[in-house]
Amino acid sequence: MRSALAYTPRRGRLQAASVPAAAVYLGSLVLVAFAFSNPLVLGGAGAAVAAAGCAAGARAAVAVSVRWGIWLGATIVVVNALVTDRGDTVLVRGYDVPVLGPLDVTLESLASGAVLAERILVVTMAFAVWSACVDPDHVLRLVRPLARRSALTATLVSRLVPVAAGDLARLREAAALRGPGAEAAGRAALARRLVACSLDRAMDVAATLELRGYALGGGAPVERRRRSRHDWRFVAGGVAIGVCGAVGLLAGAGGFDPYPEVALDVDAATLALAAALPLTAIFPFADV
Amino acid sequence: MSDRVDSGVLAIEDLSYRYPNANHDALGGVTLSIDAGEFVVLAGRSGSGKSTLLRAACGLVPHFHGGEVSGGVEVGGLDARERGPAELAGVVGFVSQEPETQIASTTARAEIGLPLELRGETAARRARAVEEVALALAIPDLLERTTDTLSGGELQRVALAAALVARPAVVLLDEPTSQLDPVAGDELVWLLRRINEQWGTAVILCEHRLERCLSAADRAVAMRDGTIAFDGAPGRFLEWALAADPALATPGARLFDLAGLRPVPVGVRRAREGLRRGRPDTDLARIPASEGWLAPMVQPARGGAKRSAGIRPPAHALTVGDLWVEVGGRDVLRGIELVVDPGERVALMGRNGAGKSTLLRAAAGIVVPVRGRVDASRGCALLSQSPDDFLVHERVAEELPGEAGARALDAVGLAWASDADPRDLSGGERQRLALAIVMAGRGADEGPPGLVCLDEPTRGMDRGRKQELSERFGELAAAGTAIVVATHDVEFAAGFAERAVLLGDGELIADGPIAEVLSGGWYFATEVARILDVDGAITPEQGAALLRSERPVTEGT
Repeated sequence: MRSALAYTPRRGRLQAASVPAAAVYLGSLVLVAFAFSNPLVLGGAGAAVAAAGCAAGARAAVAVSVRWGIWLGATIVVVNALVTDRGDTVLVRGYDVPVLGPLDVTLESLASGAVLAERILVVTMAFAVWSACVDPDHVLRLVRPLARRSALTATLVSRLVPVAAGDLARLREAAALRGPGAEAAGRAALARRLVACSLDRAMDVAATLELRGYALGGGAPVERRRRSRHDWRFVAGGVAIGVCGAVGLLAGAGGFDPYPEVALDVDAATLALAAALPLTAIFPFADV
Repeated sequence: MSDRVDSGVLAIEDLSYRYPNANHDALGGVTLSIDAGEFVVLAGRSGSGKSTLLRAACGLVPHFHGGEVSGGVEVGGLDARERGPAELAGVVGFVSQEPETQIASTTARAEIGLPLELRGETAARRARAVEEVALALAIPDLLERTTDTLSGGELQRVALAAALVARPAVVLLDEPTSQLDPVAGDELVWLLRRINEQWGTAVILCEHRLERCLSAADRAVAMRDGTIAFDGAPGRFLEWALAADPALATPGARLFDLAGLRPVPVGVRRAREGLRRGRPDTDLARIPASEGWLAPMVQPARGGAKRSAGIRPPAHALTVGDLWVEVGGRDVLRGIELVVDPGERVALMGRNGAGKSTLLRAAAGIVVPVRGRVDASRGCALLSQSPDDFLVHERVAEELPGEAGARALDAVGLAWASDADPRDLSGGERQRLALAIVMAGRGADEGPPGLVCLDEPTRGMDRGRKQELSERFGELAAAGTAIVVATHDVEFAAGFAERAVLLGDGELIADGPIAEVLSGGWYFATEVARILDVDGAITPEQGAALLRSERPVTEGT
């Protein structure tokens, strides 16, 4: 069973773009997600990544990453609410948690956790689009000069997602085949096994790379991959997104402070920034 | 180093090696020399050191795996202890047992061209080399496919192409046929022989199913406990194996040995020549095994085509009717009709991609048919190809808690291991534990399930472990559990099954007693069946009884 996150060769613009161009484009959205904490701006960045993924034909990868991101985000919200008692608006007072003792759950800690979750969601989606649209072979070529002596590093960078995706499909099937008398394979157990399994497999793939001659020094330089005619669009799109973010920061847009009370900028500049991100992100796919 | 280094492509001198954190040597003082253009089969039981020796010859040991090493390894004139696998890649190619883990690229073309790309070859030279090796291996139609859409057999060929594309002086193969059907396995061995003869490439082939490859070899080397136990011609190897380690002897050799015939033959052709010399008046093909003295040994299957066709007594372990399954827009199963009775032992066979795994998945209910019905109402447990995927907890008892778990452990003989870490168990024990996990709680009245299916359970197993597995199946079947095993291993199927079901391109093309299905053909036939060409004689014991028989063979019988 093929994973939605596995790279699929398609005749799309993002798939045709060079690795650096794709990295600038998707990386700029990740940067914006880290630069701003305003939920509206993060929402704009998320919409931008989703639009980019759908336009690139990676709708399934976006859907999978949203599911994972929501699950991970919900965990973050709960944990943050339990471990942080800052904030003036107490929703639950003195809630008794085993081990941790009595805790206050505040609106502000929930809002702070939600912003972290939203950021994680954006990053997860961007990673999923990257994984589904950027050829790992091209990533390997790019990484090789930087990690010539370490096939394992190269494997982890370029092949971990496809390897892990294949392993996850197998592990899920095995989990479904367990008898009713056996202990169920929960998410945590599966995740633990997946990590161990993927690292083992990454070691095997790294050994294969070594056997193919990955660590060979010298030799004639590999000819450069021809740049795509779409590269400028993605570089321009990435730069434009970065400029939008920088201008927003300079203009003081996108302010958000969860403590002591939630303070959220909903001014015109913030709304404009949030709207500009998806519009700018879709530009490389537009026929102009 | 030895005095054969100059003429050899591989020279190993007093090599000892211990893996990190291991408490014993994997290799102990191995000395071996392989000449240019030799075709060598490396035999030995699981854990005898074969794979480690191959990994030392390509530089993975010790450069990639670490550990303690002493002695010398020279490959193509390069000191493997000084140079890593990348530097040796120009003179040695390596193909491992698991094709999934030896693919590092997105498409087959990129994978095959990768060694040349990493060496800095121009695009034009790469393209030509890839095209030529793809033609040599008959895989040009795979070149544009993404590697994650290739079957195990296809991946194995792509991996072999990647190992050969740089025209190495020696190619090392670690059980390359373990995932291939009999047709693809035979083709691969003869392809290696052709490359060996035409290109002069030395081949070192590590294999458990020796009957597949021994006749193509110039020389056989046997390993035991990390040392070389035998090194010589294939014929002498078989004589040695019969005396020292019968599990390594081929079915043909055991046939001759049991029948008291000498010399033991290497391959079907020499066996037939030997029989003609030894019993010139015997025309074995005229003996109908289903009649007369051989009949008691040729047990009819209790299921079979007639049973499948219609009449359905109650309480079948599996009933499949007009089953159609679609995967990825393609009909993988097409109108399958099959009935399996309680206690029946069935070998499900067919080429890679014939639909065997899909049929088992449908029986286990994890594949939804587009048409037809599957009924395994007495419970169906399916053990897929990788038993380790089932081991997700830290202790055996955590995998199988409570009384149901204890009963399941007891049923597979692992009650003693409840406190062990599953990953500390041996390969065979892990497989039994996985079997217990899929069976636990599935049967009625706390017993075993009505049907147990296994997908390629003998991958990488030596004959001893296969025998153990076969005995385990016998115990389950005696308790009323039907066993259906998808396997490419015809010799294993002949040993454990009473009935064979053959699939071809999603359709059921043969269903009958194992002795009937596995004789009379060429690929889906045991070595004994190919030697004797007598209906029903498929195992060395059956064949030897035939050869020992003093019954006169007459025309028209």
